[in-house]
Amino acid sequence: MSDHDRSRATVERAPSATRRALLKGFAAAGAAVSLSSKVAWADGEIGYWAKDLPNEKLIEMYSTILRIRWFERTLADKQLSDRSFRNLIHLYAGQEAVATGVCAALNNKGSLREIDVIYGTHRPTGHAIAKGVDMKKLAAEYNFKATGLNRGYAGEMHVADKSVGYMGADGIVGPAAVIAAGSAYAFRARGSKQVSVVFGGDGTYATPAFHSSLNNASLLKLPFIYVVENNLYHQFAHYSYSCPLKDIAVAANTYRIPGVVVDGQDVTQVYNKMKEAVERARAGDGPTLIEAKTYRYYAHWGAPGAEVGKMGSFGYDPQAITSWRPERELRDWLQRDPVDICRGTLISWGVIDQAKANAIEAAVKQEVKEAFDWEAQQPLCKPEDGVKNVFVQGSVPARQFG
Amino acid sequence: MANKSFMYAVYEAVQHEMRQRKDMTWLFELTPAVASNPGTPVINLEKEFGRTRVTNTGIDEMWMAGAALGASLVGSPSVTYIPYQGSQVCFEMIQNHAGKLHHMSGGDSTMPAVFIIELSGQSPGFAGQHSDYECDSYYAHIPGLKVVIPSRPYDAKGMMASAIQSPDPVLFLYAAGLRQLSEEVPDEQYTIPLDKAAVRTTGNDLTLVSSGAGMPAVMEATEQLQKAGMKVEAIDLRTLKPMDTETLVKSVQKTKRLLTFDQSYYTLCPGAEVIARVAENVDGARYKRIAFPDAPPPASPEMFNWMRPNASHIVGAARKLVS
Repeated sequence: MSDHDRSRATVERAPSATRRALLKGFAAAGAAVSLSSKVAWADGEIGYWAKDLPNEKLIEMYSTILRIRWFERTLADKQLSDRSFRNLIHLYAGQEAVATGVCAALNNKGSLREIDVIYGTHRPTGHAIAKGVDMKKLAAEYNFKATGLNRGYAGEMHVADKSVGYMGADGIVGPAAVIAAGSAYAFRARGSKQVSVVFGGDGTYATPAFHSSLNNASLLKLPFIYVVENNLYHQFAHYSYSCPLKDIAVAANTYRIPGVVVDGQDVTQVYNKMKEAVERARAGDGPTLIEAKTYRYYAHWGAPGAEVGKMGSFGYDPQAITSWRPERELRDWLQRDPVDICRGTLISWGVIDQAKANAIEAAVKQEVKEAFDWEAQQPLCKPEDGVKNVFVQGSVPARQFG
Repeated sequence: MANKSFMYAVYEAVQHEMRQRKDMTWLFELTPAVASNPGTPVINLEKEFGRTRVTNTGIDEMWMAGAALGASLVGSPSVTYIPYQGSQVCFEMIQNHAGKLHHMSGGDSTMPAVFIIELSGQSPGFAGQHSDYECDSYYAHIPGLKVVIPSRPYDAKGMMASAIQSPDPVLFLYAAGLRQLSEEVPDEQYTIPLDKAAVRTTGNDLTLVSSGAGMPAVMEATEQLQKAGMKVEAIDLRTLKPMDTETLVKSVQKTKRLLTFDQSYYTLCPGAEVIARVAENVDGARYKRIAFPDAPPPASPEMFNWMRPNASHIVGAARKLVS
């Protein structure tokens, strides 16, 4: 390990609350005023890479956040009111800025020998949409349709789309990290400039996979980025049940790699840190651990305690007995919504105004509606296809009839 | 005596043993150590025995199985409840350590450890990595490990009591599809041997063998077949290892026809072992097995429901076999 690495093995703090409050204030006021950067970015602007992005890119990031948000709100509403939409949902709402900021710093086009890859969790919608998965096919897969993203074999918890470098949702907590590091190993071995990213929840800290992936990625200087989405809860248990650290990013010190804490509600902050991690990986300098502090608005799965047309699962979840979050905690986090923060930033930078922001949101809602309308017209799977796709060729015999 | 659900009955057995044994522990993740049941007191192991003995861990099934094993090696009976999402992550601890240590130590080590493994995912929509019914075969292959798979609340309580009291490690398969079952279960502690199958109905025409979550379909099919005049001997294996060969052989010597039913994959399913043992001991019998195809369960309900073995498949196969 070089001195350079050692000096970077420190944990950086999230930006000040003051700046966020300011952004929030401007967003609420809906005014396209310019922000005094001396006040707002008192932390300094060195490394504020998102400010160098072209307007179209920033607008695309805002649109992506909205796509995830409205796709998920549609899912929640359908879960509560539409039995024709059959699904098991693990909602990501509240965390949109993480997937969006991460994927905005990656190359999302090209063959498997060019594209950057991500491995997701089985809270998959955000990762999938941010990486570029088609919303129509995604909706159809969630409803187990024959024309769905994975032809009805995957369902929500196991979706994947190699064509955009979305290697799949890991149905089990942990293993994806090691597999993602394995992809990074291949990139290094074959001299490719590709990068492999794994998303994991705070619950992954406790798994052996977390430590194995970082240890090996550090030893081999792999182009690997571990993005911990610390939304405070794994299923129904607070992360203090399974991790002795307040900041999981501190674990990076053990593996002598950079560990970064970032405000997961602010897409530009996520992008800034991710861009540095990607550049480090492409340069052959090894992995980075990024911890995004974030929150999920809904329960672990489904939408218990939610109402049609309203966001968030409130009240007590009957599935959670050991511990559960206070309702006020959720209301606090709703005040720091990634959609509002992103919109506020773009308006304050003069990229868009309030009217344009509203128009973008309306267009996204229409796009989401069309995806679900398309899904509703798609055919169901053929029962006999269940014994296909076991191996690349042929099918296996039916054994259920004796 | 009251009507009790499957897991309530299990928790009752655990609670009783933990009251007797102050050194006994319970490790869990995600699934709270709580059971409630209409008309009976709530069992909350965490509250009653405290977090030092009843421990909520992170998502780390290697730790859970290893910790229960390590606790048992130094004399503390220990139970861990591993949910279906981690049913194979703990495999090394159970297969390569729990299964071998008594033998490796020349008989010195004893392990009063119980690994509850939840079997789930055999319902539409789960699929892929959220399905693990097949792990009955994996675990039943391990020497030195008792593998039980009760199908009723009554058996579940008695077999859990026996499992905790056993000096050998026990893998206790809990087919989550049986969650809704309830029946009369005594309040007091009792044990059921860990090596005996249960003959559920007697008959001379056909021996029908299954276990765990396969039993409700077996009983449903048996009822239909009996009504149609076929005399079915329905056997619930209850224990996959050691398998009760004697009961199986005795039955097929009489019926000369054996049909096995599993929700596990066809290749090396428990029924394959049942048929092999009977075939070694009975001449002139006919055999058939029903199992899930050798394919991971797909998410689509249309595909999944077609693939999943059910009672009508049993009825159809039984008629062919007996005709």
